[in-house]
Amino acid sequence: MEDAQTLGFGIALILAIWAYLGIVLQLAPGVAWHEPIIAGTVTGLIIGNVEAGLYVGGALMLMSLGMHTYGGASMPDFQTGAIVGTAFTALPEVGPEAALTLAVPISILMIQLDVLARTINVVFIHGADKFVEKGQFKKMTLMHLLGQVPWGLSRAIPVFIAISLGQGPVQAFIDWSPEWLEQGMQTVGTILPVLGFALLLSMLPVKKYWPFLLIGYALLAYMEIPIIGIAIIAAAITPIYMRMKAGGANV
Amino acid sequence: MSENNKEKKVTKKDILKVCWRYILTFQWSWNYERMQALGFAWSILPVLEKISDTKEELIANVKRHLQFFNVFPPAGGAIIGAAAAMEAEKETPGEAVDSLKVGLMGPFSGIGDTLYAVLTRPILGVLAASLAMAGNIFGFWIMVLFGIAWGIVIKYYLFWLGYRQGNNVIDQAADEEGEGLLDKITAAATVFGITVIGGFIPDILSGLTTPLTFEREIEVEGEMVSEVVEIQNVLDDILPYMIPIALVAICYYLIQKRDWSAVSVLILLFILGFAGSYLGLL
Repeated sequence: MEDAQTLGFGIALILAIWAYLGIVLQLAPGVAWHEPIIAGTVTGLIIGNVEAGLYVGGALMLMSLGMHTYGGASMPDFQTGAIVGTAFTALPEVGPEAALTLAVPISILMIQLDVLARTINVVFIHGADKFVEKGQFKKMTLMHLLGQVPWGLSRAIPVFIAISLGQGPVQAFIDWSPEWLEQGMQTVGTILPVLGFALLLSMLPVKKYWPFLLIGYALLAYMEIPIIGIAIIAAAITPIYMRMKAGGANV
Repeated sequence: MSENNKEKKVTKKDILKVCWRYILTFQWSWNYERMQALGFAWSILPVLEKISDTKEELIANVKRHLQFFNVFPPAGGAIIGAAAAMEAEKETPGEAVDSLKVGLMGPFSGIGDTLYAVLTRPILGVLAASLAMAGNIFGFWIMVLFGIAWGIVIKYYLFWLGYRQGNNVIDQAADEEGEGLLDKITAAATVFGITVIGGFIPDILSGLTTPLTFEREIEVEGEMVSEVVEIQNVLDDILPYMIPIALVAICYYLIQKRDWSAVSVLILLFILGFAGSYLGLL
C-alpha cells in the first residue's frame, strides 16, 4: 500500500508547472490545451498511470461539451479538476471513479480563481497605459508578457497545494465519504452537461432554426441513429437548405 | 522628440512578427477591463513603429490600439491581418482601422464560436472522450491535433487571408443585404450544428433518468396482483429523454429570458443533482 503513495513534493511541483503551462498555452496559441483529456493524460504520464488520466479527462470532457467561454465568461475549470483528480488516483484505494467525485467539485470551485486572474490582469493594462504614455515600449512589452503570470498561478497554486497538502485529507475524505455523497456527485456529473447545452442553444439563433433541432432529436430518439449518422444526415441537409435559400426567389 | 526622416518601409519581416506575436501570445494579458486590447496593441506594434515618424505619433498610434477588443482568437486572425495591412499603408486614417476592428469583432466571433464551440469541439470531443475512457491514447492525440489546427494552422491562414484582403475584408465579410460570405458560412454551420445538437442533447444526457417506481394493483384473470411500475418507462412512452430535454429547456429559459449567468445555472444544477440523488428522484 505504501508504494502507491508516490505523490511527493516533486510531483506536486511538476504538476503545478504543467497546470501553469496548460492555461497559458490555452490563452495563446490556444485552443485546446486546457481540455481535460490533455490535462488528465499528461498528468497520468507524470504519475505513471496514463489510463487513469485518460479516464478522468474523458469523463470531464463529456461534462464540458458545449461549455465555451463566450466573450470571456468563466466556466468550470475542468483542467485543474482533471489534473488534481488524476493525481489522486495514485493514492491507495482511490479509483478513477472516486477521483471523478473529487474532480467535479474542484472544477466548480476553481471558477473563483479564474475570475480572480481575469481581474488581477487589469493591473497590466493600466501599467501598459502608463508606459505607452511615456513612450517606454519595452516596458509595455513586459506588461503584455507578464499577463500570463496571474493566469498561470491561478491554476498552479491550487494544484500545488491540493497535491502537496491534500493527500492526507483527501484519503481521509475518500475513506469517510458516505454513499449518498458519492452518488450525489455522480448525479451532478451526469447533470452538468445540461449547462453546456443550454449555453450553446442560447448562443444560437434557435428561433430561426428550431426545425433542425427537432430533426436531430427525432433521428436519435425515434430512429436510434448514432451521432455520426446524424452528422452525415446534417451534412446532407445543410447544402440542400442553403440551395433552397439561395434559389428562394425562383421557386 | 527625435525626428525620424529616414523613409522606413514596412517589410514582410515586420508582418511576420505581427503574425507570430498574435499566434503565440495574443491572450496572455486578457483582463476584464479591455480584454484583448494589450495583446492586439503589442502584436501590431512592429508595424506601428515603422509607420510612425515621431515618438509622439507612435504613442498616439499605440494608444488607438489599446482600446477594448475581444474576439474568438482564431477568427480574429483575419482582423489583425487586415489591420496590419491597413496600418502599413501610411495614408490610411487611424479611424478606418479602428472602425474595422470594432465592426468585425462581433461577426467574426459569431462565426468562430459557431465553428468551434457548436460544430467541431462537441463532435470531436465526444469521439476523443469515448476513446479516452476506453483507455485509447488516440483520444488524447485527437485533442492535441484539434488544438494545433485551431491554435496555429487556422490562425496563421486567417491572418494572411486578412492581410492580403486588407480593407476588402469588410466587403467579403458582410454586405448590406446580409448575404456576405461570412453570413453564408455562419448559416450553414448553424444548420449543421443545430441538427447535430438536437441528437447530442438526448444522447449525452441519456443517463439522466429517474429510478422512481410505484406499485399498483391490477386484475389478472380475476385475481388482484400488485405490479411495480417504473416511472421512467412511462415517461419514455410519452416522450423519450423527457427529463434531459426539460432540464435543458428550463436552463435555456433562465439564461435567455431571465438573464441568469452561467454560474447561477451551474449552482442550480449542482443543488438539483444532489437533492435529486438524495431524495431518490434522479
